[in-house]
Amino acid sequence: MFQNRAEALALALPAALFAAVVFIAPVVILLSEGMRNAEGWSLASYVAFFTTPLNLTVFIRTLKLGAMVTVVAAIIGYATALCIVNLPPKGRGRMVGLVVLPLMISPVARTYAWIVILGRTGFVNQALTGLGLTDGPIRILFSETAVFIGLLQLFLPLMIIALISALENMPRDAIPAARVLGANWLQVFWKVILPLTKEGLVIGGTLVFTGSLTAYITPAILGGSKVLMLETLLYQRVTVANDFASASVIAMILIVMSFSANLLLKRLATARAKR
Amino acid sequence: MTSRLLSTIILTIVMLFLIGPFLIIVAASLSAGDTLAFPPQGLSFKWVLKVFEIESFRASFVMSMMLAILGTLAALVIGIPVSYALARYKVPFGETVRTIVSAPIIVPGIIVGLALLRYLVIPLGFNIGLALFMAHTALVLPYAVRVVSASMVNLRSDIEEAAVLLGCSRLGAFLRVVLPSIRGGILAAFILGFVTSFNQVPVSLFLSGPGVRTLPIDMLAYLETTYDPSVAALSALLAFMSIGIVFLAERFLGFSRYV
Repeated sequence: MFQNRAEALALALPAALFAAVVFIAPVVILLSEGMRNAEGWSLASYVAFFTTPLNLTVFIRTLKLGAMVTVVAAIIGYATALCIVNLPPKGRGRMVGLVVLPLMISPVARTYAWIVILGRTGFVNQALTGLGLTDGPIRILFSETAVFIGLLQLFLPLMIIALISALENMPRDAIPAARVLGANWLQVFWKVILPLTKEGLVIGGTLVFTGSLTAYITPAILGGSKVLMLETLLYQRVTVANDFASASVIAMILIVMSFSANLLLKRLATARAKR
Repeated sequence: MTSRLLSTIILTIVMLFLIGPFLIIVAASLSAGDTLAFPPQGLSFKWVLKVFEIESFRASFVMSMMLAILGTLAALVIGIPVSYALARYKVPFGETVRTIVSAPIIVPGIIVGLALLRYLVIPLGFNIGLALFMAHTALVLPYAVRVVSASMVNLRSDIEEAAVLLGCSRLGAFLRVVLPSIRGGILAAFILGFVTSFNQVPVSLFLSGPGVRTLPIDMLAYLETTYDPSVAALSALLAFMSIGIVFLAERFLGFSRYV
């Protein structure tokens, strides 16, 4: 450890100053704009935001979709991760590769694929009409369902990866031991797997939940103006109405959620380091 | 036996869900028809070739490339010293500094872009290109600091102390001992930063001007007006590019060790 203060400052200051000027200061000013009006500090923008039915709908929809995506990702994630960790090492490596692969692909491309699948002339509609299940194309795009599917596909890999590493850190014999002692699969899951992997579940869950809350591309492409979420609402308020007060309130909601999630992850990490 | 079968079924369905859409994009981009469709109507490379003829895609591709390369380099130029200082020195308010430089990862990009535009770019009259460069640098900075810091932790400090004792200046020791030892981490940080910056949408949403746009934003705009397979073709090409970069990085660098 070197003690020279001047050197330390010279090394650390450029990055700290850059982040403070380009990023921290503008964001803080944006947040403060929502907390004042012509006379001074005021929460009028917050009251106005939350008493507008459309905003409230979007706010609740965002939380609801985030929660649904997280729960479904956890269920599919556990099933997938359990299958993967039980594969022989070579197959396991391949499967992990396939899970990680989508993360390298541009989210625009990944989301756009769902237009080809779910659109009016898309794959699903052709199949449904071809099988005679529907009379004509049904509308799947620009619905909450489409956004849900898109978000799930976007964030599921994060959950699977978090659960795989949690399962790999679990004592090998825990599951066979519980089975020998007469537990059925449901009991094994609730009493053994879940408690031993709950940190991984929280990590994966936080990543999926905050990812879904702050998603822009998926609701923009698959939801359009019919299914707004907080970020697409923010974009619309600014570009259509020049409404920076609402933008500031939405920014505050997103930042508070994302910071609390991050704090939770940090505390988990330090708790684990102590153990 | 039944559990093996069940496992295969589950994995097949999940992998189809995760990878399938990408394969469909590739197939749709090879279509000979004029509208986006799967299964494709005949096979041809005409949409793949058309991508290269669309003027705005060419311009925004160059823009995104430059941003990804220059933004990541700039983030490394300021990120490596701060990581070094945090690892080796007693930096005053060290934890605060670490929080400040890693904050851009926590705040959603759309907010970063909007705040930057409204309170820095417009008041000071910066042009959009410079604004995009600053935003992408800020965005990549946390990744640079995290990856470089991680490889700094594994580097023993007595080696550079030995270099200094043997007559090397502090700067010389940094350039000749520290930098070469963490070059794998720096390269990994560059690749991670490049891919992140290149694929980034929200931060650039508000930061576009006449003729100045990043490629993903340009693709989103094109989607609103046109429904032909060219965006599918472009998406497929970009996906292959990202996968190729990461694959090579993994192969020659063991990329996943660093990230």
